[in-house]
Amino acid sequence: MTSPSYVLLFALGLYVVAVLEGWASTGRLRLARPLRAGVALLGRETVTPRRPDRVLYETAPVLLLAAGLLAAAVLPLDRGAVSVDLATGVLFVNSALAYVMVGLVMAGWAPGGAYSLVAGWRFLGQLVAYSMLIVMPITAVAMRAQSLSTTAAVSSQVHLWNLAAQPLGFALFFLAAMAVCFLPPFDLPVSSDLAGGVAGEYTGARLAVVRLARVALVLTLSLAVVVFFLGGWLGPVLPGWVWTFVKTIAVAATMLVVGRLVPRLREEQVLAWGWKYGIPLALVNILWVGLTLLGVR
Amino acid sequence: MIGARAGRWTWFRRVAARAMAGELSAFVVPGPEIALAHGLDLRSAGVVVAETPRHASVLLLVGEIPTGLGRAASVAYAQMPRPRAVLALGVADVSALPPPDVSAPLEQSGLVQGVEGVRRWLSTFAWSTEATAFDTEAVGTETRYTCPMHPEVVQDRPGKCPICGMDLVLREEAGTPHGHHDTSGRHGGTEQAESGRTEYSCPMHPEVVQDEPGTCPKCGMRLEPREGAEHAGHGPTEREGSEGGHRDGGEQGDADHGSMQHGGFMSMVMMTKDLPRSDDGLPMEWVEAPFGPLFPGLPGGLALVLTLDGDTVAEAQVRPGTTSRTLEEGWRCPADDLPDRLASLDPLSPASYRLLALRALEAAAGVVAGEERERARAGALERERAASHLDWLAQLGHLLGLRWLVERAGELQHALVTAKGASDISSARDGSAKMVGRLERTPLLEARLRGAGFLHSDRREELRGPVGRAAGRASDARCGDPVYRKLGFEPVVREGSDALSRLRVRLAEIGQSLDLALAAGSSELSPSPMPHDVSGHGSASVETPRGEATLSVHLTGGEVTHVVLTTPSERHVGLVGAVAEGREVSDALLGIASLDLSPWEVDR
Repeated sequence: MTSPSYVLLFALGLYVVAVLEGWASTGRLRLARPLRAGVALLGRETVTPRRPDRVLYETAPVLLLAAGLLAAAVLPLDRGAVSVDLATGVLFVNSALAYVMVGLVMAGWAPGGAYSLVAGWRFLGQLVAYSMLIVMPITAVAMRAQSLSTTAAVSSQVHLWNLAAQPLGFALFFLAAMAVCFLPPFDLPVSSDLAGGVAGEYTGARLAVVRLARVALVLTLSLAVVVFFLGGWLGPVLPGWVWTFVKTIAVAATMLVVGRLVPRLREEQVLAWGWKYGIPLALVNILWVGLTLLGVR
Repeated sequence: MIGARAGRWTWFRRVAARAMAGELSAFVVPGPEIALAHGLDLRSAGVVVAETPRHASVLLLVGEIPTGLGRAASVAYAQMPRPRAVLALGVADVSALPPPDVSAPLEQSGLVQGVEGVRRWLSTFAWSTEATAFDTEAVGTETRYTCPMHPEVVQDRPGKCPICGMDLVLREEAGTPHGHHDTSGRHGGTEQAESGRTEYSCPMHPEVVQDEPGTCPKCGMRLEPREGAEHAGHGPTEREGSEGGHRDGGEQGDADHGSMQHGGFMSMVMMTKDLPRSDDGLPMEWVEAPFGPLFPGLPGGLALVLTLDGDTVAEAQVRPGTTSRTLEEGWRCPADDLPDRLASLDPLSPASYRLLALRALEAAAGVVAGEERERARAGALERERAASHLDWLAQLGHLLGLRWLVERAGELQHALVTAKGASDISSARDGSAKMVGRLERTPLLEARLRGAGFLHSDRREELRGPVGRAAGRASDARCGDPVYRKLGFEPVVREGSDALSRLRVRLAEIGQSLDLALAAGSSELSPSPMPHDVSGHGSASVETPRGEATLSVHLTGGEVTHVVLTTPSERHVGLVGAVAEGREVSDALLGIASLDLSPWEVDR
């Protein structure tokens, strides 16, 4: 797979996820919506808060977008089709995603408004709850792959997907991934009870970047779920990249829809559940994977 | 052309204008709940409700806009990025706002027509070479430049201080809502009087605060200017600190031992020693933030000021006056006009107040409305109750992030408001039973609502309506009514006195009210034939959707001379502190929303 086609495929993925997000948030499936909404935003005036922290205000949306794209760079779309095949790719995904929190807290702080400030803090609290649930299931995946490389993670699933080998890890990682993307019910930083929260102070082209960044995050995290748990490019008949694409979009659609069936969680509930149940379960998962590995040997 | 962007048309701008016309998002004033109460279906008209004016392209004005709300709307309008349009449905001119770009009558067809008009407006006027700025008093800024060393030096343009030659720094002056206020969105005009006051305080002894420059009585240091109480806030204080950083380079090197404003080291203990403590013992700077009068999820017109300690509400206050309309003077009128005038008190429950006026007048005249008429009145009252609870449910859905609930409750409310006959009502009844079932099956909903907005039992006696019935108090003005007794009415009572029990009471009442409305057969509020030139005194009470309202009137020769009205929201508005203080923001908002306050009943 060549790099232009890699980029094209990723861009197509972004567009499809944006269409799906519009469907999930308005209840209508309209193919032209992201394009039209994007152009409309570009045409609108940029209003900046009266006295923002300029540097943070301008860099936050870009940082948010960069975090998503960086994490995607180490995830393979097909056998041998990965932009950067890092030996420590699995760790890199995790560290790139740490910047999501930095970006959101920056964006919350910069405008000097109470709503966005509280929203930014909420995400900080949320990070404390979910971050271990990103790392620990990935650890179990790496244990099975005997490698920190993302391509090795896929190859290790040739006989059995991690979805079946470590279902507990899949469930935890899936929920944590939704929290990284601040999708409902984890949408505390952009919630409607804070008038849009962090995104509420951005307008025009900057708002377009914020929204694009969110879409990129959803796509990247869905891709990560596919690579780590759903066998990546593995699948019969069709070429590998098609399998990756189809699986990723299916995961993204699920992420976008399921959370809307429950009310938005409270920050302290997320924290309590994350630490009281999430982390012990993640440890059980690691133990389980260790035992099965011993058993196989 | 106040709403247009300055500039000539280019091909990209034409494309963008067309895209904007297709993606209308509206900021609704007073609020989506009022649009629903007037029977408008925004979704089917192709309008998306925006959560903040920053993301809206249309300011949608619905129905009557009192002066205070008009000022708040002008702030929202000023925050909307251009191109922006004002669509007024059934609104006379709002003085604080520019004249509406599109006006239409207050009905669904008017809305559809208005949206068409806005689309045309955007494709014609999105860019204009005659664009002008919008200036409203409510957001007027006075920018001043002052010397960081010599606060007495103040001028209106940048320059150097004549005393020490330093560059002057920007300072925004009194009458200016800024910092949190302008950026965080919706505020009425009322807080401006207090905001932006400059006071002087010692960098070492923050408790020393005075209105004029001078030296600290404790350590003799020169007092530093800082912005008043409104600005104890987090963000701006820090940034002003960085501006103040100039000072360190200046003569006053000796000040460089501690204060955060001087960038030196200061331990956490020192930095926070004078900050207010909340129950959790964590000292933080408190931020005062306006929530409302145009806050999504709260009733439009309800202006709250929450003092936030982190994300906990330390103090909650209601700023009255947003919906003041000097209605009471108009109530001294010929007796025949009173029902109409009282019905305009609250757009959320016009039928209840019309009925209240009818009953009070009948009591004064000693007339008895026949059973047939009372039955029809009960039908109208119950229909309104169900619609009002559904409207409230849509708002709750917004706060909970349950989009399906916002839509479904809105659809049912719309169906009920526009219902023609019994078959429409009974299909709305089936629909709402399904919705209630789905809501009860929603996972995590109980965990989310339980305990939010809890009111201690010693406040029980103050509670009326659904809020009282959710506290186990069977207070209902309908209990003694013979018509209701015949219809088999029993009040819905639940225990718990929190947001969850209030939700359960209202959910049960939606079904109950629709059953009653169907059993009553017809729904009509017709006045009984009354003798002319009545003199006397009468009082009556009606169980409105929010609780019991009472009215007593004095009539002299067919003229109303004295009116005393008590409304449930007046009683409940004092509970805002009790449900919000010490709670996390989203819980506090849920608690306040669970009271279902109507600001229209509070300010008249």
